[in-house]
Amino acid sequence: MKAFNKLLISDLKQFLRDKTALFFTFAFPILFIFIFGWVFSGAGNISYEIGLVKNNSSVTSEGISQILHQIPIFEINEGEKTDKLTELEEGNLRAVIVIPDDIDSIIGASQPVEIKVYYDPAQTTSAQIILPVLKQAIDEVNRQITQQPLLLQLSEESIQAHDLRDIDYLVPGILAMSILFLGLFGSIVLVERREKKILKRFGATPLNRSTMVFSQITYRMILALIQTLIIIGIASLVFNVQMVGNWLLLLGLVLLGTLTFISIGYFAVARAKTTEGAMPIIQIIQFPMLFLSGIFFPVDFMPDFMRPIIAIIPLTYLGDAFRQVMVDATPLYPLSLDIAILVAWLVICMVLAVKLFRWE
Amino acid sequence: MTKIEKEIHPIVIKIEHLVKSYGVIKAVNDISFQVMQGEAFGMLGPNGAGKTTTAEIIEGLRQADSGRVSVLGLDIARVPAKIKQRIGIQLQAPSLLPLVTVQEILQLFASFYKQSIPIDDILELLALKESRKILVKNLSGGQQQRLSVAMALINNPDIAFLDEPTTGLDPQARRSLWSVIEDMRKKGKTIFLTTHYMEEAERLCDRVAIIDHGQIIAMDSPKELISTHFKESAIQFELEPAPPEVVLQTFPGATQVMVSSSEVIVYSNNIPTTMSAILKYAEKVNLTDKLKDLYVREATLEDVFLKLTGRKIRE
Repeated sequence: MKAFNKLLISDLKQFLRDKTALFFTFAFPILFIFIFGWVFSGAGNISYEIGLVKNNSSVTSEGISQILHQIPIFEINEGEKTDKLTELEEGNLRAVIVIPDDIDSIIGASQPVEIKVYYDPAQTTSAQIILPVLKQAIDEVNRQITQQPLLLQLSEESIQAHDLRDIDYLVPGILAMSILFLGLFGSIVLVERREKKILKRFGATPLNRSTMVFSQITYRMILALIQTLIIIGIASLVFNVQMVGNWLLLLGLVLLGTLTFISIGYFAVARAKTTEGAMPIIQIIQFPMLFLSGIFFPVDFMPDFMRPIIAIIPLTYLGDAFRQVMVDATPLYPLSLDIAILVAWLVICMVLAVKLFRWE
Repeated sequence: MTKIEKEIHPIVIKIEHLVKSYGVIKAVNDISFQVMQGEAFGMLGPNGAGKTTTAEIIEGLRQADSGRVSVLGLDIARVPAKIKQRIGIQLQAPSLLPLVTVQEILQLFASFYKQSIPIDDILELLALKESRKILVKNLSGGQQQRLSVAMALINNPDIAFLDEPTTGLDPQARRSLWSVIEDMRKKGKTIFLTTHYMEEAERLCDRVAIIDHGQIIAMDSPKELISTHFKESAIQFELEPAPPEVVLQTFPGATQVMVSSSEVIVYSNNIPTTMSAILKYAEKVNLTDKLKDLYVREATLEDVFLKLTGRKIRE
């Protein structure tokens, strides 16, 4: 116990003296929250500039124009057809709507009016968003002209107790990312100590290996808890992201996640000879997890063939569990399944790490 | 061994027919020896001779392929933790945590043992008192090496293993570490030292095993080793081109000759006549201006090694 305490205190002291470790453990996640927080807090104000070409004397054109002006995400920019199409090509406009000059007479003749929308298919997202909105607007105009009564109306009702903003979705993700880094990079310390023969030096004393490993794990868990408090604190004070769930459950998840990623890290570098050799291994594990786990954006955006990968990586489950507990997000999986998968990863990797790890 | 012998000269390390191979290379090839309590025992040999491997097998850090090792009367393979409580080890590489202070690392290592000596005493012994609050990474090479020895002594060990403690140190730092080891020796501590500096072995060790290619080629006190192999002194000089060995052997008084490129050593039992033969030779071949660094010295362990292996120890 004496050796365990001394090792733990020594590791904490070494951490405080290591500027790089301090930065990556604390400053980095904080920076992340601020960057994402600012980027996404502006997301609501995003608007698309749309060109509109119309005959100003037409009543119907004016009606359409009014409805388009009411759409909050559109900024309507009227002008001549040739000018607007050039602007579209130059990328200054997202789409150009052309209403025929003789729209009134066509309607008068009870003929269908062709309203043309020019867009750049290369700008996929804007096309995906703009076209359906335009279609809806035209339908609305159509209905007003033909004066058909509205029979079916969609009423939106969120099933979440409170609306989730992007930042609400992100904060649990950032916490999961921090735990991932903290756990995985813990193994680098061990490789470095093996490489520098410090493990060998420890091995020349009566110190138990298990005492040493447990003190390392405890040290990482203490860092994980401090990190969690900082992330939740900043998210709540600066971005008003409130932790709604059970603190004890969150604590348990933080510790489980840390332990799982530590054991994955230890297993991954079990045979790496040098720190330089271990770093790429850790990065190869870390990067796909970051982007495929849905911790930064919902997994719905991912193509189908990615699904099996998404369903196997542990970060998916840690992120899902954090979102459920912290901001009461809609579960991807039941919480018990999240926990079960994390425990399974933990046990398998721990057994493999113990079997494969080279002490020298 | 009888009970009385055990009390007078207890054997603290006993090695019998130790063998350890790495692939086809026999790092340790049938080595046997004993170390008595209070003895300073040295293994002297060139790099790669098998010194460190032997030491690390005794320390329980490596396993032998075959042979028997007993340390303090115990079997290292069966009770490693028990033995590690009572021995102190300094590894060849410093193996220190960079971001802890001298005092902290000593306290940390002290916590691994049931018994330890006060940190102040150990700092005093290794002249580290001034640097107790300094981070390990900011220490000089000599200070790191002394700290490494301090860590090996923190548990007041029955046997201290020092693996090339002065390698890489400047002459001043080497001498200061030597005086520390001499102090330990005076206090009756058993010391197991490996080194490739013959001067170090000669100065610090009661008994030396000369090891080459995994085998002990000679073992005795440094004095005995030298006097057994050399009744004569050595004349050393440089000459380019060096005289052929057959010519040197005809010089009066010359008993043995070693030539490596331009460096020549002639062992002689009659210095004046051999010396004048050398000078006459240089005159005859018109090379007096090329004759350099001519001096006479006593034979050393280096000469013993040279005689036994035909090679210099640091080659």
